[in-house]
Amino acid sequence: MQSFETPGSQSTPTIRANWEEGTLFMEGDSYPENSYEQFRPVFDWIEAFLSTTGRPLTLDLHLLYLNTSSIKAMMDIFDRLETAHANGQQVAVRWCYDRRNERVGELAEEFREDCTFPFRIEPSA
Amino acid sequence: MTSAFPPPPSPLEDRIEQLLAAPEHDGHPLRQALADLWETHRDLERRLDRIARVSDAFQSMARQRELGLQERMERDLRRLEKLARISDRYQSMMRDLNVALTEASTHDSLTRLPNRRLLTERLKSEAERADRYGRSFTVVMIDIDHFKRINDTCGHDVGDSVLIELAHAMGAELREQDCAGRWGGEEFVLLLPETSLETAVQVVERVCGRLSGVHVPEPHPTGSVTASAGLAEHVPGTPVTATLSRADSALLTAKRNGRNRIERAPAPTPETTHA
Repeated sequence: MQSFETPGSQSTPTIRANWEEGTLFMEGDSYPENSYEQFRPVFDWIEAFLSTTGRPLTLDLHLLYLNTSSIKAMMDIFDRLETAHANGQQVAVRWCYDRRNERVGELAEEFREDCTFPFRIEPSA
Repeated sequence: MTSAFPPPPSPLEDRIEQLLAAPEHDGHPLRQALADLWETHRDLERRLDRIARVSDAFQSMARQRELGLQERMERDLRRLEKLARISDRYQSMMRDLNVALTEASTHDSLTRLPNRRLLTERLKSEAERADRYGRSFTVVMIDIDHFKRINDTCGHDVGDSVLIELAHAMGAELREQDCAGRWGGEEFVLLLPETSLETAVQVVERVCGRLSGVHVPEPHPTGSVTASAGLAEHVPGTPVTATLSRADSALLTAKRNGRNRIERAPAPTPETTHA
């Protein structure tokens, strides 16, 4: 496994996975026609990183609108992080939102609800 | 679950064990038969014990599985509820954003009045209605006289707040069915449904009276504004753009004739009808 980058479009987020840094960056809207196709590489990358490196993993999220299947994919990702956290691995999420749209921050809080690993929600300027 | 087997020996079993162990019965013809029977009995007992153990193990495995399934089902249900909750909130966020966007695309951000786009739509649908039912309506173009003076003497911030007040004043004088919008700059358009030219003149006179009551702060030379207006009554069957340009021409006439006045557009001649 290595780093990869997917440019965003109107309906898909920009994704940057950096293997050396142990960071996964996602930004934009997500309502793809095939969310399985979009999230499969992300999920595989996270799985490979967590199961082989043992290094800390940080998710840097700047997501706006998510359709239902994208919400499910994010919940699956957070579940995987929760398992890693329970096994003593260092994982963290930082979810940034535009302070002019507080509701995105409130939605991030809904996602955070069952997570016990560090999950920061920050308004950006 | 642990098996109760083997149970403690019964008095009969004790007795048989004692009989088999007693040396005085050695050589008795029934002793060997009893010993064989005893061995068969012990074997059956062991088998029974094993069957019970296996059966118990199966039972507890099934029970574990059932508990596991139930737990998983409950967890999935919780996840599904969370998913639906988050999804609902995203949808309501999008719906509200949509409403805000529609409002922003159809209204002037300064005065909150309908903008040119919405006015154009309203004019079109009003024309269709008028054509269908053979009714008429009047279009009014209003321009604030020497508005530039406010900006020049008091600054653009004051100019903006005067525009907002003028918009309020205009709205206060209109009837429910009327529509006032900002056409651009200091130019406004009134749409007066089911209103003849003469009735419209009375409405516009009241509106202009209101407008002149709006206070303009120092150092503006007069402290108030006047307005010029051009009116055109729509003729069913003619394009609404023609009505609008007739109103615009009438406004130009009002300006040329010295401002602070109302001018009526003449009825269209056949050539101008389809201009």
